[in-house]
Order: sequence, then structure tokens, then C-alpha cells
Amino acid sequence: MKKICFSIVTILLSGSLEAQISNVIPSSVSIANSSVADSRNWSAFSNPSTIGYLEKPEIGIQFENRYVISELSTKSVQFGLPTKLLNAGLSFSHFGYSLYHEMMIGVGFARNFSDKFAMGVQFNYYTAFFNASNSYRGELLPQIGLSVKISPKFNLGFNTFNPFQTNIQTEFVTKKLPSVFSLGTEYFFSPELVWRTQLDKEVSSNYRFASGFEYQMLQNVNVKLGVYGSDYLVSCLGLGFKFGSFLIDLNCESHPLLGLNTRVSVKYRF
Amino acid sequence: MRIKGFIIIILLVCSFTVRAQDVVSTTEQLIADIFEQFKAESDEVIDYESFYDDLMFCAQNPINLNQTNRDELDKLQFLSEIQIENILSYIYEFGSLHTIYELQLIEGLDMTDIRRMLPFVRIGEGDDSKNKIYLKDLIRYGKNELLFRLDKGLETKEGYQWLPEEDVDAPTVNPKLYLGNELYNSLKYRFHYKDRVQFGFSAEKDAGEQFWGNRNKGYDFYSFHLQLNNLGKFKTIVLGDYRANFGQGLVLHPEFSMGKSSYVLNVAPRNSGLKKFSSTDEYNFFRGGGATVRLGKFDLTAFYSNKMIDGDTINGTFPTIIKTGYHRTLDELAKKQTVNQQIIGGNATYTNMNLQIGFTAVHTRLDNSLVPDKSVYNHFYFSGDNQTTGGIFYRYRWKKLNLFGETAMTGNGALATLNGCYFNPASQVSLVVLQRYYSPEYDTFYASGFASGSRINNEFGIYIGAEVRPFKKWKFAAYADNYRFPWPKFGVDAPSLGQDYLLQADFATRKNLTMYWRLRYNEGQSNLSGSTATMPVIVPQQKASLRYQLNYDVGNFSFKNLVEGNLVRVADGNWTYGLIALQDVSYEFQKIPLQLDFRMQFFDAVDYDNRVYAYEKDVLYAFSIPMFSGIGSRYYLNVKYQISKQFSIWFKIAQTVYADDREALSSGNETISGNRKTDVRLLLKWGF
Repeated sequence: MKKICFSIVTILLSGSLEAQISNVIPSSVSIANSSVADSRNWSAFSNPSTIGYLEKPEIGIQFENRYVISELSTKSVQFGLPTKLLNAGLSFSHFGYSLYHEMMIGVGFARNFSDKFAMGVQFNYYTAFFNASNSYRGELLPQIGLSVKISPKFNLGFNTFNPFQTNIQTEFVTKKLPSVFSLGTEYFFSPELVWRTQLDKEVSSNYRFASGFEYQMLQNVNVKLGVYGSDYLVSCLGLGFKFGSFLIDLNCESHPLLGLNTRVSVKYRF
Repeated sequence: MRIKGFIIIILLVCSFTVRAQDVVSTTEQLIADIFEQFKAESDEVIDYESFYDDLMFCAQNPINLNQTNRDELDKLQFLSEIQIENILSYIYEFGSLHTIYELQLIEGLDMTDIRRMLPFVRIGEGDDSKNKIYLKDLIRYGKNELLFRLDKGLETKEGYQWLPEEDVDAPTVNPKLYLGNELYNSLKYRFHYKDRVQFGFSAEKDAGEQFWGNRNKGYDFYSFHLQLNNLGKFKTIVLGDYRANFGQGLVLHPEFSMGKSSYVLNVAPRNSGLKKFSSTDEYNFFRGGGATVRLGKFDLTAFYSNKMIDGDTINGTFPTIIKTGYHRTLDELAKKQTVNQQIIGGNATYTNMNLQIGFTAVHTRLDNSLVPDKSVYNHFYFSGDNQTTGGIFYRYRWKKLNLFGETAMTGNGALATLNGCYFNPASQVSLVVLQRYYSPEYDTFYASGFASGSRINNEFGIYIGAEVRPFKKWKFAAYADNYRFPWPKFGVDAPSLGQDYLLQADFATRKNLTMYWRLRYNEGQSNLSGSTATMPVIVPQQKASLRYQLNYDVGNFSFKNLVEGNLVRVADGNWTYGLIALQDVSYEFQKIPLQLDFRMQFFDAVDYDNRVYAYEKDVLYAFSIPMFSGIGSRYYLNVKYQISKQFSIWFKIAQTVYADDREALSSGNETISGNRKTDVRLLLKWGF
């Protein structure tokens, strides 16, 4: 019971501190969660237009452990499939534990237009378990994304998750679902060094600004350094490894109040 | 010079092909974009229809640059006075233009200006403006247009929350309930034969107005117009509904007037003379007839108007003219067309190459006396049943200086004067300086012009504007305006002062990519809220805003990003912020005549003072720059489909969702319960 109470308090606290109503949207592979303009990596439930840049099928799993509390972890899987007409992506995410959990599944479609811009749309079905009514409630949450290569070195990204601000209404409570607008940039100083910035606004929360660098230090090793700020300034550090067709990424965040947040992902590109 | 010029032209043509439809795909969109620059952040109700009509008319009847004059070029409101002067003097000095590309040799015109001009001008020989008009030509070559528009809000508003079949007397018991349904509807017919003959009619019913019932039968507002140009000695004849604009607008200018905008050099109003009225504005027009006769270098104009206006009349007096045009409730219907207004006026203008000078006089008579409810701010407002106003205006070109101005006086001896000068010291630099003084006692009907306040009275100020093109692809525009109101005004119970500044940088890297940064700063004064002091206490109010806009085209796709933030501080309080960000995507199908515009927008302006504005694409003849305050998002889909050569259809659906936990939107009869507001709009056009 003590553990549950602690978990709930922590969820609420972390929710307000991280400018998120729900933690079911997993963090992205991009450092400091600056994924909206990332033209090289597609992350589950981030900008769906980046599915359009996939050249090969890929499958990935992620595990995110918030502040070393297993009850606050998010698990997600993703599968991307490029085709001639449209690229498709399937994502699934689970947050919580037996007494409280949220799940989301998404099907996204995107197209790359002559490598000048990409547009994508994703249909997410969100569901949460409500203990009071002992039932699951769900809603369909659309997601729209755009990525434009203004020049070969400069990329602009836009993404909106649940733009219609749909919420879940039960007999007892209204659960607010995140409605997020994101705008970001990506600039390549060289093929090895990329700089990303991003501004997010979840309509009921504070703004979040993120910025990060990714540097390919060795042929198979990436070093990532970033920072994001909402209520607190959080520094982020990451490493990426490539073993053949496998990509392994490890990102860490050091929250000044809540502690360490870690995320690990494994992706296989066919 | 000429030979050199042609070599340059050939080189330019080879290196840079001018395409009118690079950034803006249609003339309609071009006109809307121009208007947006003028009215980007305005609380005023603005008559876009007239602005659109004028420019679209130019697009359908392009101005022949080799036969043109100042009156014609004045219609291209995006050109500055200096640019017009330069075009006219180039043609005067070097003779007719041989190709449109020759415009590039004219000082002060860059590629952006030329691209904007292209749909509205042509290079031609001969002048057919004096030919006789034959009925068979009217029938054969005349162009007809019929427009039908419907608007509806999907959420039911408070004023419609009663069932006529169950409670017939509800509006009588509560005279504030709407009598009609929620539909807005307008019907318009227009005919024109070149620029010689124009006639048409308009009918409109606002949302909430009864269309057919015991209180009203038919549309609420009807309008008819006829305009004939160049008919013998007559330059213009107007019958029915029309407008008369002269000089700098201090005596008469009932339509869209220049003000402070990112077109920093465009400060003098245009559209001089008599002109048909085909809009649905229910106040700013005249009803009757008028004519302008051209006698050598003189234009003589006389006009008369007799129409009913709205007012709350009691014992032969009324406190204010109601200009909204809404007649939705019994209360509003009781004030409909209760006052007769007669206007008689005239103008004489002399024009030669370097000088234009004119005199305007107008007399207005009301059958009820206008007696404003006395308050400090309106102490000097016009009171009475008749008024005479006269004014002299001028424009003089002396070397590189273009002087302009107007001085007007009302019957009570109150003075208004505006004087300015355009100066073009170098081809990359254009400057304008303008001074105005409007006495607190000066208050006349139908005046509008350059002012910081909403009326032409109680203001003194100096404005300086500059446009500099220091490098290729870059344009900088800036203005500074300092002003004071010597008498209290609405919302400010003591004399006050203010200042406005703007700096805009435009950058166009390629044909398909443009961007600008706009920094604005405004400092004014307002009443101290909650003050209990006997004497009025006013406090400074500062507002700074920065906008970045990026437009880019890729194939048939067009994208636009806009981010704007502002900071406001009242007195010594904290700075509060407002923010708006949006993404537009437009797509024009190649094989079918279908165009789609889609927007996602987010706004965050908790305080009303931080409100933000964003221009939206809309159906034909509609122009919207909605204002947003609170936190929320908005999205819309705008569709244009050309069914056949004759038929086109526009459709728009837009929804705003507030995220700041409000349970109702708007107030009074317009109250919507919930946090969503959805509007749909449909327009059908039949051209034959």
C-alpha cells in the first residue's frame, strides 16, 4: 500500500514537473526528446512524418525506467515498413502496473515527397484502466506530422498529438489526455554532427524547450549531449552503438529533483 | 540609357524568369496576402470586400501602363506613392514600355513589387476608354457574376435557446432573444463591361436576423449600384449605393483607409472620387447619385445621398449612430432605420504633372438630433442635426520631394490638418514623414485617415517611415510614430500620449521561399483599473511583439510557419506573455481544379492584453484575422473546387478548442456552453 501511495504521488509529481499529463508517450531515441525534426530516426509516437524517411523495414523495442521505480516505466515496441506508395508504422506503448496502467497503439502512414518534405498521419487508440469503475476506457487520438528539408543541411519539423483535445469522460472523473504541439529544427554542421532544437507545448502544461547535439565519434559510436527545460533544467547524455543491423541506444537524464531517468532501445534494420 | 537598359533587361530575363504565380498561386490569394500586410493586427471591423473588389477588378481589366495615370495606379494600394511617381515619370521621360520586364529598370521597384503588380497591369497600345458603348457589346462582352454564401456556427448559442413553435411570445417577453435562425446568408449579383459599366445588387441576412416571419420579410439589407465611367464629358456617374473619397480623408473617406502597417510608406489614402458600393457594410456608404465631370485639368464632382440609419431615438434625439447592421432582436429592430440622413457635397480638383489641388465640401442633415450621452471623453463629439465640413487637399512634386496634405474645418471652426512628404534620396532608400493635428472639437461623419485612434479627432502626432533595400534579397522597413491625445478619450480619462515602433526585415532567398521578422513596440496609457481616486489616474501600458513567418513552396504544396510572441506590462506590474504558433499546408491538385488549405494552430495568451491574431484563408470575399485570447488550439480546412468554367464552390470548416477549463464561450446571446466553437462557411459562384 505504501508503495502504491508513493507511486501515485510520484506519478502526479513527475507529471507536473515534466509537463506531461500522461506518460504513455514514450521518450524518443533523439537526445533530450528532440525528435520532431529528426530526419534519421523514427521513434514510436513521435513525429509520424519521419516514418516517411524509412528506407528499410525496421523493428524496435524500448524500455524507459523513470527514477528507478519500476511502476513508472514505459515499455514500447515499433515496426516500420516502407513501401513504394506509402510508408507505414505500427507502435505500441504500455505505462504503469497492474492497478494503474495506460496503453496506446498507433498506426501511422507517411510519405516522403522527393526527399524535400514528408507528411504523415497516425491514428492512436489510447486506453486506460479506471479502478473506480473497474473498466477500460479508450479514445482515438489522431496525430499529424510534417517534416520539411528547407535545405540539405536544415530541416524543420512540426507535430501535433491529439490536436482536437479529446479527453476521457467517465462517470466519476474526466481524464485529461495530452494535446501536444511541437515545432523543431535540425541542422547538420557536417554528416557527423547534428544539432536539434525543439519547442513543445502540451496545452495544459508549461512549455518545454529542448536542444541537443549528436556526434558520430567513431564509425559505430554516437555520443549525444542535450538539455531540456520546463520547470527544471534537465541535462541529458546518451550513447548509440551500431552492430551490423542492430542499433542500440542508451539515454540518461538527470532530473535535479527526481533523479535518474534511463531509456534503452534496441532496433533492427532489415 | 535606353540601350543599356534593354541589355540589362535581356540579361535579367535570361537569368530570372518572372512568374506571377510562384509564391502565391492565385490572384485571390495575392490580394488576401496584400490586405493581411495592411491589417495584420487590427481590432477594427474592416471592409475587405471593397478592397478585394477593386483589385480583382484590376485583375479582370488590367491597367495599360502605357496609357495610365495616377488615378488608375492609385488602385494598386500595395504600391507606395514614390513607386507610382517613379512609374509615371519613367514613362513620361522614356515613352511607352515595350515589355513588362522593363519595370525592373524603374527605381524603387523590386521583384516582389513587380510580381505583385503582374496580375493587375499590362503593356498595350491604343486607348479604348473613350469609345462609345453599344448595347450589343454590353450583352456580348459583359461579365456577370452571382454569389451565394451561407455561414453557420454548429454550436447553439444562448440567443437561439427557445423553440418558436412552442413559445411564440418568447422574444416579446424577452426582447433580447434572437428572432431568426443561426444562418448568415448573402446573395450578390455583379455585372461589368470592361471598366466602363458596372452594376449589381447585394442582399444580406446576418445570423439571428429573421428572414421570413411576423417581424421581417425577406433579407435584412439590400443594396443596388450602377457606375458608368468615361461617358462623354462625364468621368464617372454613380447611382444607387456608392462611396465618395477625397483628399487625405479628413472630410470624406468612408472606406478602407491607410494606417500604420508593414507597408510603412503607404500612409495616404487612395481611391479618390466616386465609386460604386457593392459591399455588405450597412453604414459606410451613400445612397443616391453623383457625377464627376472632367473639364480640361479640372474634375468637378457633385453628389447627393438620402438614406435611413440606425439609432435609439427618443423625443427627436438619439445618442449614437448604430453601425453594426445587426437587427436580430426586437430591441435591435426597434432602432432600425429610425433616422434620416441626407448628405450633399461636392469637390473640385485641379491636376497637372506636378501639382494636384482640390477642395471638398459636404453638408449633412439629420431629421433627429444627434445628442451623445454626455461624458468627459465625448464632450466635444458632434451634437446637432446638421453639419458642414470643408477641406483643401494638395499634392506637389518638387524635385525628389513629394509633398501632400489636407486641411479641413467643420462648421464650429474646429480644425484638422495632415501634412507629409515622401522622399527618395537614393534608389535603395525611401522615406516618409507625416504630421497630423486633429482638434478635439473636430468631429465629422465619414472621415477616416491616418490616425492612432479610431476617429479623426483629438490627436497630434508625427510619423516617420523608412524602407531600405541595402542588399539583394533583403528589405528593411521601419516606422516610428509619436502621438498625444490632448483631451480624454474612451477608456482613458485624462490627456494621454503614446508611441509605436515597427521594424520588419523581409528576406527572399529563392522564388519559392520567403520569410520575415517583425518587431513591434507600442507604449500607450490607460486608466488604472480598480482606482477609487476622485481624479483620473492613468498608467503606462507597454506591448512588445516579435513575429517570424516562413513561407515555402515545394511542387504543388505550399507551407507556412508562423511564430509570434508578445509581452505586455501595465504600470509597474509584471510582464505577461502571449504566444501563437501555426503550421499551414496547402495543396493544389494538378489534374483536378481542387485546392485544399489546412491549418493547425496553438495559442497561449491568458490575459486579454496579450491577445494574438492570425490571418486565415477563407472563402471568396471573406477575410478573417481572428483574435485569440486564452489557451487553446484551432484548426481549419478550406476547400476550393471549380466545378466547371462557370461554377466554383468554396467550403470552410474551422474549430477552436479552449484548454483553460472554461465552461462557456463568449457572453450574452452569443454564449456557447462548452469549450468548443465550430464554424462552417459555404460559397457558390456562378460566372456567366
